[in-house]
Amino acid sequence: MEIVVCVKPVPEAETRLRPAAGGATLDPEAVKFVLAGYDESAVEQALLLREAVPDTKVHVVAYGPAPRTEEVLRAALALGCDRATWVEAPAQTTGDPLEAARALAAAIAGAPHDLVLCGKQAGDDEAGLVPSALGELLGVPDFELVVDLRWRAADGRFTFERTGDAGAEQWECPTPVVIGLQQAWNDPRTAKLPNILKSRKAPIAKVTAALAADAPKSRPEKFELPPPRTGAKMIEYKTPEEAAAKLVKLLREEAKVFP
Amino acid sequence: MPDFSLTPEQESLRDLARKFARTEMAPHAAECDRAARFPEEIYRKAWELGLMNLNVPAELGGSGLGAFDQCLMVEELAYACGGMTTSIIANCLALEPILLGGTPEQKERFLKPFCAEYRLASFCLTEPSGGSDAAALRTRARKDGEEYVLDGEKCFITNAPHASLYTVFATVDPERKARGITAFVVPRSAPGVTPGKDEEKMGHRASSTSTVRFEGVRVPVSDRLGAEGEGFGLAMRTLDHTRAGIGALATGIAQAALDRAAEYSLKRVTFGKPIAEHQAIQAKLADMVQAVHAARLLTWHAAWTIDHGGRGTLESSIAKTFASDSALHVADEAIQTFGGYGYMKEYPVEKLLRDAKLTQIYEGANEIQRSVIARELLREYA
Amino acid sequence: MTDTVLVVAESRAGHLADATREAIGVARALAAGGAVEAVALGREGTALVNELAQLGVARTFLAADPAWDEVGASAAAVAVAAAADRSGASLVVVGGTSGGRDLVGRLAVRWNAAAATGVTAAERADGGLRVRRPIFGGRATETRRLEGGRGVLSLRPHAFPVPPDAPVPAHAEPLAVEVPPAWRAAKRTGVRAAGPSSGPGLTDAAIVVSGGRGVRAPENFALIEALAAALGAAVGASRAVTDAGWRPTSFQVGQTGRAVSPQLYIAVGISGAIQHLVGMVSSRVIVAINSDASAPIFKVADYGIVGDLFQIVPALTAEVRKARGLA
Repeated sequence: MEIVVCVKPVPEAETRLRPAAGGATLDPEAVKFVLAGYDESAVEQALLLREAVPDTKVHVVAYGPAPRTEEVLRAALALGCDRATWVEAPAQTTGDPLEAARALAAAIAGAPHDLVLCGKQAGDDEAGLVPSALGELLGVPDFELVVDLRWRAADGRFTFERTGDAGAEQWECPTPVVIGLQQAWNDPRTAKLPNILKSRKAPIAKVTAALAADAPKSRPEKFELPPPRTGAKMIEYKTPEEAAAKLVKLLREEAKVFP
Repeated sequence: MPDFSLTPEQESLRDLARKFARTEMAPHAAECDRAARFPEEIYRKAWELGLMNLNVPAELGGSGLGAFDQCLMVEELAYACGGMTTSIIANCLALEPILLGGTPEQKERFLKPFCAEYRLASFCLTEPSGGSDAAALRTRARKDGEEYVLDGEKCFITNAPHASLYTVFATVDPERKARGITAFVVPRSAPGVTPGKDEEKMGHRASSTSTVRFEGVRVPVSDRLGAEGEGFGLAMRTLDHTRAGIGALATGIAQAALDRAAEYSLKRVTFGKPIAEHQAIQAKLADMVQAVHAARLLTWHAAWTIDHGGRGTLESSIAKTFASDSALHVADEAIQTFGGYGYMKEYPVEKLLRDAKLTQIYEGANEIQRSVIARELLREYA
Repeated sequence: MTDTVLVVAESRAGHLADATREAIGVARALAAGGAVEAVALGREGTALVNELAQLGVARTFLAADPAWDEVGASAAAVAVAAAADRSGASLVVVGGTSGGRDLVGRLAVRWNAAAATGVTAAERADGGLRVRRPIFGGRATETRRLEGGRGVLSLRPHAFPVPPDAPVPAHAEPLAVEVPPAWRAAKRTGVRAAGPSSGPGLTDAAIVVSGGRGVRAPENFALIEALAAALGAAVGASRAVTDAGWRPTSFQVGQTGRAVSPQLYIAVGISGAIQHLVGMVSSRVIVAINSDASAPIFKVADYGIVGDLFQIVPALTAEVRKARGLA
C-alpha cells in the first residue's frame, strides 16, 4: 500500500504569539516551526499501518517555505517515513488552506496514493479544510474526524470510526481515500537519535507549487491577541436564576466558549 | 567561534533531549527525589532513544557525538532533573577510558553490547581514603600469570549497584604513585566484585551511588586498558573530556532555577504589585541570568575547544567551576525569590539547590579545579 | 452573481438543527436584502422546509434521494454545489457541525470559491467577505478577506445567536443531483449514539469545573460534579479539597497538581491563592463564583459572580442543561 501523509510546519505550542509589523500575520521572528501534535498523530498512524500491512511505504509531503518545511519533513523522516517531498511555497504565502490543498494535490496526483492521511487540522490556523479539498482535487472520497483506522486485508478495505454529529459512526471503505484523523488517540513515537542523524542526510524531493493566479483566495488582514486580563466583569443579579442566565448568555455570545 | 547559532542538526538533537526531559523525566523528578527512587524505566527509555552512550562512535552502534553536541543535550536533560542526568551520562564517563585507551578489539568487545542493549557502566576512581588525591589511590592490582588480582574499595560510584561493567583504576606499585596506576575493565559478574548499598544523598536522589569492593578479583591481561602505569593519564584525559558535560549539567540546573524564579516573580503580588517590579528582585534576576548565560557560553567554548582537537583542560576546568558555583548561587537566589514558599518541598526550587551542590564536588572538586586553572594559566607566563 | 446566500440545512431528530438556525441568522445579515435559500438532503430534508420558511428561507432545494443519508458527509458538497449554481448564490453558509465542516473544502474546490471554517464574525467588505476566526487554540484571532466573488463559510459552534422568526411562504424545489458513484463503495456499518459523557481527562478537557474550600463538605462536591456533567466538563479541585481528602490528588489543579489550560475554567468556592492560579491562569476564559468579593480569583477571572455557591451553582447547572437541550 502507498500511504501519503500531509504535514505542515507550524509554530510550536509554547510560542509567544506576536503580530508582525503591519499587524496582518504572526511575526515569524524567533518562532520555532515544528511537526505539531495532530500531524505527529497522522505520521504515527501511517507508520502503524506500515507495520501492520506488508509492502507498505509512507511518503510524507508538505507545502511551505524554506527552511521550516524541510526541517519538518526531516522530523517526519526521522520518525520513519520512507521518503519525503517538499512542495516549495513562496516566502509570503496567503496562509489560505485551499492554496496548500492545490499545491499538495498537484504533488500527490503524480505519485501512487492508496491512502492520503492528514491530521485533524493545522496546529496554527486550525482550518481543517485540506482533507476534503484534497478529496475533490484528487477525485477520491474523504472522511474526517477518524479514529481507530485499520486495514482489513481479507477484502482490501479500511474500517474506522468517525465522530459524527449523531454519535460515533462506524465505516468501511475501499482505496483510494483521503482520511483526516480526529485528535490524537494514538501515542506518537519519539524519533531516536541515530535516526535523527540519518534524516539529516536523507534526500528530499523538491517541487515548486504551480499556483493558479486566478484561483479564489483568502488573505490575512489582521492578527490579533486577546486584550490582557483587567479583572472580572462582575455579573449583577437579583436571583440566582438571573445570574445563571446572564452568565450562560455571556459565555455563549461574548466569550463564545459555551459547548 | 564567531558564529553562535546552532545548525539545524544541533537543534534537532537539542529538541530530542528537551522533549525527553520535559515529557519523561520532569513529571517524575519530584517523586524520585522524595523517595530516592532509581527510575530504571526512564533510563531504559533514554537508552532506547539513543540518549545514553552519546560518545560511542557510530561504527560501534553509538551516536558518536562530539563534546558540543553532548553538552547541548546534557543541559536539556539536567533542566528536568540533575540526578537522572547524572545517571544517564554515567555511561559516557565509564566508557570514555575504553574509547581513549582501548585497542580496537577491546572497543568492539566492551562497547558494542552497550549499544545493543540497555546496560549501565560505572567509572571507579574515588576511594574512601582519597577523593581529590587520586594519584594516591590504594586499590591494588597484583600480577599473577596472565591475570591481575584486584583488591580494594571504591566509593561514591554512580550507578554502581546497577552496573554490569566497571572501569577500575588500581595501582600495580604504590611506590610509583601516579605512574603505577593502571586501568582495568571489570564485569559485575567477576567473583569478588561487591557493589554496596545505595547511599542516602542530599540531592541527585534519582541517581544511585555506592561503594564497590574488589576482593581477589581476577582480571585477565586482555581486560587491561593500555600499559601498566598509563592509568592515571587515562583517567585525567577522561575527565578532560567529560568535564564540559558537568558544566552543561550545572547550567541546566541553573536555567531551571532562573526560569522558576522569573515566572514566579511575575505572578506573586506584594505591596500592590508583582514582585518582579521590586528592585531587589530585579537585581537578583539580573545577576542570575548573567550567571546562567556566562556558564553556558563557557561550557560551549570548552566543548568547542575539545571538538577542535584542543586539550581543553583550562577551558573545561573554568566551565565546570564557574557553572557549578553559579548553579548553587542561582538556585539559592531562586529559593530566596520564592520566599517562604521556596523553603517548602512542595515547590520545585529547594531540590535545585540540593542538586546543584553536588556539581561543585564531583568530577573534580572545585578546589582542585582552581589549582588546575591556576597551573594552566601560569604556564602561559612561565 | 446576486446577493443570494445559500444555507446548508441539517436536521436533528427530525427538526432543523440549531446550528442551521445560527447559519440562517448569519445568512440573513450577509444577504443584505438579497434572498436566503437553503439546500437539504436525504429523507429528513422535506420535513425541514416549513421550519426553514419560518426563518425567512425563500426557497429550499431538496435532494431527497435517501442515498444521500448513506454517504459520507463530504459528499454532500456535490449537491450543495449544484444547488448553489441553481440558486445563483454567491455565498454558502453552513453551521458549526462536524458534517458541515467536512464539506467546506470539497465544496470550495468544486464550486471554485474562497473558504473559511469556524468563523466567529462575517461581513461584506469591499466586494469581498471579511471574516474573523480563532486560531492557535483561541490564543489569537485572525481576520481574513475572502476574494473572488464566491465564498463558503462554516461557523464556529454556538458563536452566533438563533435569529427571530421572519416567516415567508414555504417553497421547495427538487434538486436532481446524483450521489457521486465513487462514494457508493463506502458503507456506514453502524452508529453509536453520543451518550452521557464519562468525563474527559483533566488535562485534555476543553472545559473544567473546579471546587474549592468554599464547598465546605465532601458531599457538597456533588454540586460541582453536576455542573461539570451538564457542561461535558472535567472536574478539578483546589489543594484544600484534596488535602482534606474530599477528592483524590489526581483532581488537584495547581502548583503541585495538574496544570490545565482549557477553553473555559469555572472556579467555584476557590479563593485564588497563587498556589492554585499557577495551575489554571492560562485558561482562555475564567469564571469565578465566590462569596467573597475581594477574593484574588476575581483579579484573573473574566466573569465573576459574588454569591452563595449553593444557590448559584444549582441554578447555573439547570440553565446549562436547558441551554444544551439536555433532559
